Amino acid sequence: MSAARQSLIGAALPRKEDDRLLRGDGLFTDDVQLAHQLEMAVGRCPFPRAAIGAIDLAQARALPGVRHILTGADVRAASEPLTVLRPVPGAPLLPYYALAGEEAIHEGQPVVSVAATSRAIAEDALELIDIDYEPLPHVTDTLGALADDAPVLHPGTLPSNLLTSNVDRAGEPESRMAAAPVVVEGRFHVNRVSALPMEARGIVARWRAGARMLEVYASTQTPHLIRQQLAECLPLDEGCIRVVASDVGGGFGMKLGLYPEDVLAVLHAMALQRPVKWIEDRLEFFRASTQAREAVFDVRIGAEADGRIVAITNQYTTDLGAWNSTYGSAQLSSVVFTGPYKVADAAVERRVALTNKTPIGAYRGYGQPEVNFALEVLVDRLARRLGIDPLELRRKNMLRPEDLPWTTPSRAVYDNGDYLKTLQLAADAVDYNSHRAGRRNNRDDERLTGIGFASFVERTGYASARFLAGRGSRFGAHESVGLRANRSGGVDLYTGVSTFGQGSETAFAQICAEVFGIDYEAITVHAGDSGASPLNTGAFASRTLIAAAGAIREAADALRDKTLRIAAMVLQSTPDALEVSGRVVRVADEPGRSLPLADIFTRAIIGQGIPEDEEPGLEAAAHFEPSHASFSFGTAAAVVSVDPESGEFDVERFVMAHDCGVVVNPPLVEGQVRGGLVQGLGAALAEELRYDESTGQLVSGSMLDYFAPTIMDVPPIDLLHTEVPSPVTTFGVRGVGEVGTIPPAAAVANALCDALADDGVEFSTLPLTPERVWQALAAARDARVAHEPK
Amino acid sequence: MSGDERVSFRLNGEAVSADAPVRMHAADFLRHRLGWIGTHIGCEQGVCGMCTILVDGAAIKSCLMLAVQLDGTEVRTVESLAEGDRLNAAQEAFKRHHALQCGYCTPGFLMLAESLKASGRALTRTEIREELAGALCRCTGYENILGAVEEYLSSETPGVEGPE
Repeated sequence: MSAARQSLIGAALPRKEDDRLLRGDGLFTDDVQLAHQLEMAVGRCPFPRAAIGAIDLAQARALPGVRHILTGADVRAASEPLTVLRPVPGAPLLPYYALAGEEAIHEGQPVVSVAATSRAIAEDALELIDIDYEPLPHVTDTLGALADDAPVLHPGTLPSNLLTSNVDRAGEPESRMAAAPVVVEGRFHVNRVSALPMEARGIVARWRAGARMLEVYASTQTPHLIRQQLAECLPLDEGCIRVVASDVGGGFGMKLGLYPEDVLAVLHAMALQRPVKWIEDRLEFFRASTQAREAVFDVRIGAEADGRIVAITNQYTTDLGAWNSTYGSAQLSSVVFTGPYKVADAAVERRVALTNKTPIGAYRGYGQPEVNFALEVLVDRLARRLGIDPLELRRKNMLRPEDLPWTTPSRAVYDNGDYLKTLQLAADAVDYNSHRAGRRNNRDDERLTGIGFASFVERTGYASARFLAGRGSRFGAHESVGLRANRSGGVDLYTGVSTFGQGSETAFAQICAEVFGIDYEAITVHAGDSGASPLNTGAFASRTLIAAAGAIREAADALRDKTLRIAAMVLQSTPDALEVSGRVVRVADEPGRSLPLADIFTRAIIGQGIPEDEEPGLEAAAHFEPSHASFSFGTAAAVVSVDPESGEFDVERFVMAHDCGVVVNPPLVEGQVRGGLVQGLGAALAEELRYDESTGQLVSGSMLDYFAPTIMDVPPIDLLHTEVPSPVTTFGVRGVGEVGTIPPAAAVANALCDALADDGVEFSTLPLTPERVWQALAAARDARVAHEPK
Repeated sequence: MSGDERVSFRLNGEAVSADAPVRMHAADFLRHRLGWIGTHIGCEQGVCGMCTILVDGAAIKSCLMLAVQLDGTEVRTVESLAEGDRLNAAQEAFKRHHALQCGYCTPGFLMLAESLKASGRALTRTEIREELAGALCRCTGYENILGAVEEYLSSETPGVEGPE
């Protein structure tokens, strides 16, 4: 036998995506320029809530260059409300039209839309449109929206702003809590943030009336689902719609599903029979693209005196904003609310509140960073209450390998893993023992050092279409791929997964090359074109590789088997004796006896020189649905130094010990984890979409006011990996796209508490700014003064 | 408010002369009037650095510059870096270090790197970080960008040609 080829699973192959992007030769939405193209601008409600009276378009219509104007009435006549793909289980849908009708209910809601010969003229036209707004009472505070006297956003559908609440529970948490010798509790506020991809949204729409074909170029993670939603909304047969997402400049969950502006651009294009482009500018991005995270958690942990956790309860309220966006507010807080801990008696209640703010949508982590902050900060609080080291407390309660698979109180099944090992790795990396031994004050700069941990599990992928059906989700758990041999001896790989930085072109080609045996370089990936790829779901929920790996393996197996059957005839051998290697098929025992793949593929494609019983053609499509979700896991450690007078602090070091199962391409994995961590640190330390309660205005809605991390804000980050293969996925992979966002907030908060342990400060609100640290210090010192004997 | 002005300058080594609306910024002009779409736009308020180009050798956020201000200058964009199919040393370093994911910020960071190279200054790692702080990346967490730029600046390879 010839020497076995080195496996490509785990190889750091160069990315397929890089060359074009490095040369400025990517094709992002605004790079698409069609002949006779018009440009669109959208007029938005400046109030958090207002009745819309007369709209005077006369002056705008008269402006040279203006071609078409849409109002709410026009949109109602020409389209249906935007559909929801991931509804909140058990709740009314709250769908909405692309433009507001009689009332707008958040700042930035589209009210009028103009198509003109240039964006500048379209914006000039918006200035000339007179709209009678009558401001109405509004509410922007999440819990305030649930107060009895709060103005109700959707009085026709709901009696209050509580969209729904749902409970997951197991065991007897209330009685266990009541009997627990120690109970800690806290209320935790998680900030509203933005995914903030560097490319905002955009769309170019062309309607070819004669062909009855709508071509859409969009910056989206889900071209096939956009196609479905456009068909539902316009309405139009899906067959008349092609959606292409070439290069996407970042998504992070925010570019899932249809947005109002997509519908508007299409309506203009169909009315005018001319292409229409809309590129979201950054100011409208902050008001028009879905926002994320905002929630309030009330958590209680009951424990024995020795630290064993006996019960967890968690009632949280998540802020949906004004409408149910395509993916609505995060649902995973309930799934992982007990974290990596062995707790059988636990209950979680999720309440969804409506507020007069931009709708919430998916963002990397989708509820997991939020609940991790609440749970892990409270675990440290329990450790302090009991006088047990936080590391020891985690160790005592963590699920051990022999406990897995473990069904959580919310009926998720953790597949396998060694959670304790990541805890130990993180602790060792920051030299936690010597820190414990008293290094905390051992500095000559008067600052205090603190170390904090946050452990987590992360759900990656979906546990089957049946699971999704039970939750009312209108997409599948599968991924698909199409493989097609070409006459050059290469393979074309077609996927509906668009390219937004995650490296799927590379990973898919890598797996295909591994299974087929062909050179990685001989595979060309065609991504994100609904007209070319088999129907799929799309890239979100850290699910792509979990689902796609199985489809690629199945399709590549089929392609290879047929290749070998044809080659066996030509080489006068048997398929079992042959192998694909690089660009040839050869006899495994006699590598000299070989045929170029180009030869075999050409025979197959034209149907000449193939076995009598073979059909012409050499292509395969496969759909694969995973049977289970897989759970990544790990522990992060933050090292901070704090000025105990001012509250100013630095994250001096951040360590992430993490397991995402079998790694297909190590640099891609590290890139995902590191990038996610920096997003998580940004949300933990600085980012916040803050609304002024009295005016209902977004006050941090520009790139200058929203503090996304620059390179100067990023601490040194060390990544440590373990690699426990998942038993429930193809190749043992787990998802990795979102994990970095999960532990930073809790790890930093716990480190600050550790540094300031002598003052007894607590943190419950994000972001963790120096001002908040100073306030916590001042509060703790005031409390101490009040308790000191006079 | 409207009205066009003639703008004549050198773009990636070639003489260009075109009409620009007086209120159009340089990034829009390069992209939508001249068709050089490698330069990206991210915020149009000078914060994100996507649109960084070289104007007379200096890194400029082209959304903060009017098109008419390009008159008489020497401009370099990301399209000038590769020679034929060969990436230049900065691009190779970015590739080797996995310094890009979605690639939207990459042209800006590359041109920032070229401006540092052209300055000929020896920079410490901290100084490089400070220089790169004018551009945002939401995917990578910056570490690999820093590694790539550091390697590029310490290499012997000459950078893009400066003004003639």
